[in-house]
Amino acid sequence: MPVAASAIYFLNLRGDVLINRTYRDDVGGNMVDAFRTHIMQTKELGNCPVRQIGGCSFVYMRISNVYIVTVVSSNANVACGFKFVVEAVTLFKSYFGGAFDEDAIKNNFVLIYELLDEIMDFGYPQNLSPEILKLYITQEGVRSPFSSKPKDKPVPNATLQVTGAVGWRREGLSYKKNEVFLDIVESVNLLMSSKGNVLRCDVTGKVLMKCFLSGMPDLKLGLNDKIGLEKESEMKSRPAKSGKTIELDDVTFHQCVNLTRFNSEKTVSFVPPDGEFELMKYRITEGVNLPFRVLPTIKELGRTRMEVNVKVKSVFGAKMFALGVVVKIPVPKQTAKTNFQVTSGRAKYNPSIDCLVWKIRKFPGQTESTLSAEIELISTMGEKKSWTRPPIQMEFQVPMFTASGLRVRFLKVWEKSGYNTVEWVRYITKAGSYEIRC
Amino acid sequence: MAPPAASQRYPSPSQPSGKSEVTDLKSQLRQLAGSRAPGVDDSKRDLFKKVISYMTIGIDVSSVFGEMVMCSATSDIVLKKMCYLYVGNYAKGNPDLSLLTINFLQRDCKDQDPMIRGLALRSLCSLRVPNLVEYLVGPLGSGLKDNNSYVRTIAVTGVLKLYHISASTCIDADFPATLKSLMLHDSDAQVVANCLSALQEIWSLEASHSEEACREKESLLSKPVIYYFLNRIKEFNEWAQCLILELAVKYVPSDSNDIFDIMNLLEDRLQHANGAVVLATVKVFLQLTLSMTDVHQQVYERIKSPLLTLVSSGSPEQSYAILSHLHLLVVRAPFIFASDYKHFYCQYNEPAYVKKLKLEMLTAIANESNTYEIVTELCEYAANVDIAIARESVRAVGKIALQQYDVNAIVDRLLQFLEMEKDYVTAETLVLVKDLLRKYPQWSHDCISVVGGISSKNIQEPKAKSALIWMLGEYAQDMSDAPYILENLIENWEEEHSAEVRLHLLTAAMKCFFKRPPETQKALGIALAAGMADFHQDVHDRALFYYRVLQYDVHVAERVVSPPKQAVSVFADTQSSEIKDRIFDEFNSLSVVYQKPSYMFTDKEHRGPFEFSDEIGNIPITPEASGDIVPAQQFEANDKDLLLSTDEKDDNKGVSITGSAYTAPSHDNSNISSQMQELAISGPATSAATPQSSFDFDDIFGLGLSTAPAPTPSPPLLKLNPRAALDPGAFQQKWRQLPISLTQDCSVNPQGIAALTVPQSLIKHMQSHSIHCIASGGQSPNFKFFFFAQKESEPSSNYFTECVINSSSAKAQIKVKADEQSTSQAFATVFETALSEFGMP
Repeated sequence: MPVAASAIYFLNLRGDVLINRTYRDDVGGNMVDAFRTHIMQTKELGNCPVRQIGGCSFVYMRISNVYIVTVVSSNANVACGFKFVVEAVTLFKSYFGGAFDEDAIKNNFVLIYELLDEIMDFGYPQNLSPEILKLYITQEGVRSPFSSKPKDKPVPNATLQVTGAVGWRREGLSYKKNEVFLDIVESVNLLMSSKGNVLRCDVTGKVLMKCFLSGMPDLKLGLNDKIGLEKESEMKSRPAKSGKTIELDDVTFHQCVNLTRFNSEKTVSFVPPDGEFELMKYRITEGVNLPFRVLPTIKELGRTRMEVNVKVKSVFGAKMFALGVVVKIPVPKQTAKTNFQVTSGRAKYNPSIDCLVWKIRKFPGQTESTLSAEIELISTMGEKKSWTRPPIQMEFQVPMFTASGLRVRFLKVWEKSGYNTVEWVRYITKAGSYEIRC
Repeated sequence: MAPPAASQRYPSPSQPSGKSEVTDLKSQLRQLAGSRAPGVDDSKRDLFKKVISYMTIGIDVSSVFGEMVMCSATSDIVLKKMCYLYVGNYAKGNPDLSLLTINFLQRDCKDQDPMIRGLALRSLCSLRVPNLVEYLVGPLGSGLKDNNSYVRTIAVTGVLKLYHISASTCIDADFPATLKSLMLHDSDAQVVANCLSALQEIWSLEASHSEEACREKESLLSKPVIYYFLNRIKEFNEWAQCLILELAVKYVPSDSNDIFDIMNLLEDRLQHANGAVVLATVKVFLQLTLSMTDVHQQVYERIKSPLLTLVSSGSPEQSYAILSHLHLLVVRAPFIFASDYKHFYCQYNEPAYVKKLKLEMLTAIANESNTYEIVTELCEYAANVDIAIARESVRAVGKIALQQYDVNAIVDRLLQFLEMEKDYVTAETLVLVKDLLRKYPQWSHDCISVVGGISSKNIQEPKAKSALIWMLGEYAQDMSDAPYILENLIENWEEEHSAEVRLHLLTAAMKCFFKRPPETQKALGIALAAGMADFHQDVHDRALFYYRVLQYDVHVAERVVSPPKQAVSVFADTQSSEIKDRIFDEFNSLSVVYQKPSYMFTDKEHRGPFEFSDEIGNIPITPEASGDIVPAQQFEANDKDLLLSTDEKDDNKGVSITGSAYTAPSHDNSNISSQMQELAISGPATSAATPQSSFDFDDIFGLGLSTAPAPTPSPPLLKLNPRAALDPGAFQQKWRQLPISLTQDCSVNPQGIAALTVPQSLIKHMQSHSIHCIASGGQSPNFKFFFFAQKESEPSSNYFTECVINSSSAKAQIKVKADEQSTSQAFATVFETALSEFGMP
């Protein structure tokens, strides 16, 4: 059995029940209380997201200020369970328009019950696609077969769609202006040693799309990835163009992508869902261009004084710039006084996270910025415990830059009516977990 | 005493006590029930919302059941849904009132709007009232034939619900057969998927008492059905794909072409965005290729990348689920992941449960090429703010040190931990240094000089203290102030709360005494006196025992307590390989996360006879075993096989483990224990008489301690058929069906390892012993072979063996499955003998 969830609960941080949907009778008694007393009120919370109490397993995750708890009584498939919850939350978000938190749940609990009824039956996941569900579960919910017969025409059609083969797109869409937006969003993960060696570095990227296209269009996307280019030159029997090619470690696709064609021809072709969706995800470990270099020097001068010097260099193109750069430089808990200068941006000592937080709103390429600080510490009794020096962490966004070097070569739209489309392509690189040890 | 407050639920504005509110609701609902005024639906909606929200937070609103039903006559679909939800929740407790709802639900089941039909049917089946099942059969029957697929999907699940309320009604109405034909012929993918899940559940529950259901269940796994699903898999949604993949795992392919066909069909599923689909596909691949060693290894290579991607995307909870599976694979095939160690580096902000798994994986994959980097990284974590993770990291470094041959550099770094002067790091390190010395005594010089510098005052944890004391006793001659440190500790005997530490103190004082008698005599005297006055049974007994042995003869005492030691070659694994295999068979389920097979945690009805055998190892003496019966005899009576296998293990480890006096195997030399009992009976008063008592101490302890325990009587020789034949398919089928009857570790002689550079030579060699190879694979240092053999007299009695040889440690592990389980021990002996002769001229 893949999931066969017995019940799903939504709890707030205090343990109050927000939603309580039981699917099967095989879990007895008050499962919420069991969860509260054995997990929420103990250290177990946050220790492990899968716990067993009695004969049941609790698979739970925290999303903003809500715990979503799935109770199963058999040896269920955990990955499937978590994925279901994540997908369900995405679905709820698409209904509420953004936030998913305690308030949103309280304001929409009837809707959530409606949805929970549709997306899972007797513990088995059903259809979770927002496109389809939105056809027959509307936020207003006023549609009624008796009061508004003529308006109700799409409903039988919708139920066909619920389970149809192209589950992600309905027929008969029409737009005045046909537009496609494509964003390549990469996040760079870095772990650098105090000596400046890259210990670990990779990029996880997403291709996000927003489609406003009429009819049933066929799309084809070409990237400058190695396999795709090689295959292409092989098929057209001409040598590959010189230039940078990117080696993707691993790719996963939205269900709309024709995987058979990807495997044989290495092209990404698909009939897109309407609106926003994530077309593909990829991972790259080789040849990553790090957008920033960080050079920290931290000197402990005796027991009560420290000198911190952090230099940040931007190594992307001079015409580009990074936005929202934040450098978090950890300092000991017993910091009493800080004194610092920065060459750009603003810095502040934030005692609640024991960090100097240095913010630079706009950071041009090929430049560098320095922070130098003097820190005075309160001398404490427990001198022995030396400070553990957590890593420096960095946040940033660099528009029009991809750390992997990935580029869209073409995006073709083909529809039988032959309309013209406007394509928009954007790139952005963000910091994932960007850590520099010091 | 006053009874505790009945309700400790904190009062909060969102959780009212309920009583008066419910009464209010009741009267308001009653007013609206008959009203047909415009806008009445809106006020109903507000009231219904209130009822549902009370129900959600756990206030009992079942008393308004009647009113809710009366208000349910509405055309508003949202009102209907709320009402259905309410009814579904309380119908079970109000079977009589539920009858009221049947009417409007049945009417709605015939509505012209398929949405309404579906909703009504779903709610009708969710009432869960046994005496209303007769009303379900009709609507379900027509629901299954409905021309709208939405209604059909709901009806299919409805059948399953009906089965759970009343199995006989469901079977009598012949619904399973209808589902089966729907499953094979319906055009809608979701209907088909629901049919599959319903039928799987119904038939597995029926199978226990119906032959036909058993056959039907098997038929789901037949080739046409499996291919019917696999060929269409792209039409199904992601969840249904998981379901189908789970089914495919159980399919037994007819030949290797079959296997490759399925893998080709499913290869692109590894690129699916849904991690659950990817993981389910991984399981199919792993299970299909289980018996094809080299392909199996290629599968590992193929699935590595998608799994690593899944780990780095998604929430920590999701990556935890994936990491647990990766952990299992990493432990099974560490060499495949050895070059990917950087993926398992921890990020600073990751939750502890993710970090812990990553640390274990780093430990598992450490080998000659990556140890330096891994240990460097682990040393970083040892300074982590999170104490639990810092401890785990130190332990990880220790484990790597224990499993690597060239440990020198690691030992240095391990010793550096002691200089960090953090209590918990020091504590963990001491325990590890102790284990390290037990395995590699050659490092004693380096370790002892550092350990000697540690002040025992700073160590509080019993485990660490015991470790330090053990080292003080063991290496008393190398540590100049060992006797004085011990003396200090012994003087504080009263303040030492842990019995474990006191036991170690006694033994260490004894050992120290033999090495440096004049300096320790006083301390030992105090220790023995304090020990014999100790309230803890074990401490008391050990002190008394030492006292008497000393009294009898000091030299004998030395030979008993402090004999020359042999290094421990392998520390016992915490989990048997059989359990690990079971977990592997249950890949993609909770078992992997819990790291134990499902029978250990699912509820009682699923628990098989294994529960018993599993716990037998740590069963305390049961009430029936009271008196003087040695528990070992109980075990023998209970479970012969189990005892046999534990004996086997002792045999293998015995040589090395018995080096340490207090871990001597206990239950197989029951004559010692009986004599010991006699010894105890003599009591302190008569102790003066012991020297001339009739026991020959030498003999008694010579048996237990000197070399290996007496070998088990060799089983009757087994004659194997030199020309046995078996086709690979049959082997594979048998290998899947049969349980492992025996697992055993043995060593391969060096000449054999040398000859193994050509794996074919082993196959030839075994063939000369009538053991035939069916498949082999692997690369240095790990080789895997599948062998089979046949009894000469009975061609139907086959033996199947998996043999994994690690050429760097010169160890082999064999798993035996047999048609005739009782002779598997005999076969294992033949096998082991044959293996041990490998490479001999």
